[in-house]
Amino acid sequence: MEQELAQRIVSGLHDAGIDVITYLPETRLSQMLPLLRDDGSFKLIAVSSEAEAVTIGAGAALGGKQVAVYMECTGLYVSCYSILSIAKRFGVPLLLLIAHLGSFADQRNNSVYAVSGAYVTPILDALEIQYRLVESGQNLETCIKDAGRHTQALKLPVALLFSGDFTR
Amino acid sequence: MIRYECFEWLAPLMTDQLVVTSLSGQRVEWGHLSKREADLNLGSMGNALAVGIGLALALPQRKVFVFESDGSVLLSLFNLPTLANLNPPNMAVFVFDNQAYSGTRISYPSATAGKTDLAAVAKGSGIEHSVTVSALADFKKEATAALHDGGLRFVVCKIEESVGHRNITRSDVDLLETKYRFVRYLERTEGKPIFQGRG
Repeated sequence: MEQELAQRIVSGLHDAGIDVITYLPETRLSQMLPLLRDDGSFKLIAVSSEAEAVTIGAGAALGGKQVAVYMECTGLYVSCYSILSIAKRFGVPLLLLIAHLGSFADQRNNSVYAVSGAYVTPILDALEIQYRLVESGQNLETCIKDAGRHTQALKLPVALLFSGDFTR
Repeated sequence: MIRYECFEWLAPLMTDQLVVTSLSGQRVEWGHLSKREADLNLGSMGNALAVGIGLALALPQRKVFVFESDGSVLLSLFNLPTLANLNPPNMAVFVFDNQAYSGTRISYPSATAGKTDLAAVAKGSGIEHSVTVSALADFKKEATAALHDGGLRFVVCKIEESVGHRNITRSDVDLLETKYRFVRYLERTEGKPIFQGRG
């Protein structure tokens, strides 16, 4: 991902009012992490599993924070139980930022990723989590802000799936 | 040690501490004895500890108690290194370890009935104050310290397997109701909006 896009994600998270980000780093969007850290206005919470990225994030959201959860798409598989048993069942707003490896537009797609990417949208559909595909910087900040507003309005997780230009 | 006796002693001492409970009989017993707005009964395995971490980080001025079970902690062992590294000083975890999956009704032994020592796992993960207690007097000592002192505590409470909670009438408060009661309590006591509706 170009540095400019990484910086614009950070700006979008600012605009969306996000103040806590739980994360397990991955390969496509990780350039935003040093920017988030340097920014100083986000509480960054590093985790050992995407499952607890969701549950720790849910605890922070119930405590009054606006939370984004950053993960690779394989992390969605790992965190399905947490999403269902806490975020969905209790109705907790979480903005899921998912690097969609193995998707059509993944510029680094290969046999390692392709199968992992194939089940992401069917799983989101099965969990009834609304999502948007984000493949370029067009309207990026607006897209993040809209997603942030929507998760707060729904009081449920909402996902942005990043691929295309974000995977270069 | 009997879990219900621990709760019977502790419940009247709680003031504004937040309590997160997992799934086992402890949620029924604590729910029966406490009934506080500051209690968040999750009703699921493997989640209470992490939700407690999120609350402790979001509200550093509040004390967060987490009541866990051996089966629930074993399901999400990855929480322990994360907890150790975040090290929230306002959090106390009490794991009521009956060494069995008693909710299964066949009392199937958990790993702590075998070789696994959860306090040692927590210690090895980096949680400095990680201890095991098996007498009510020792539980009281740890819980008193958790109420009054700072610092992360991880206390494995070795308890007898009990099915006493099966005789307690279950609460009819559903999970969404629990959430809103808890969140509205926090809004009131913290003086800030959390879930804003514009109905």
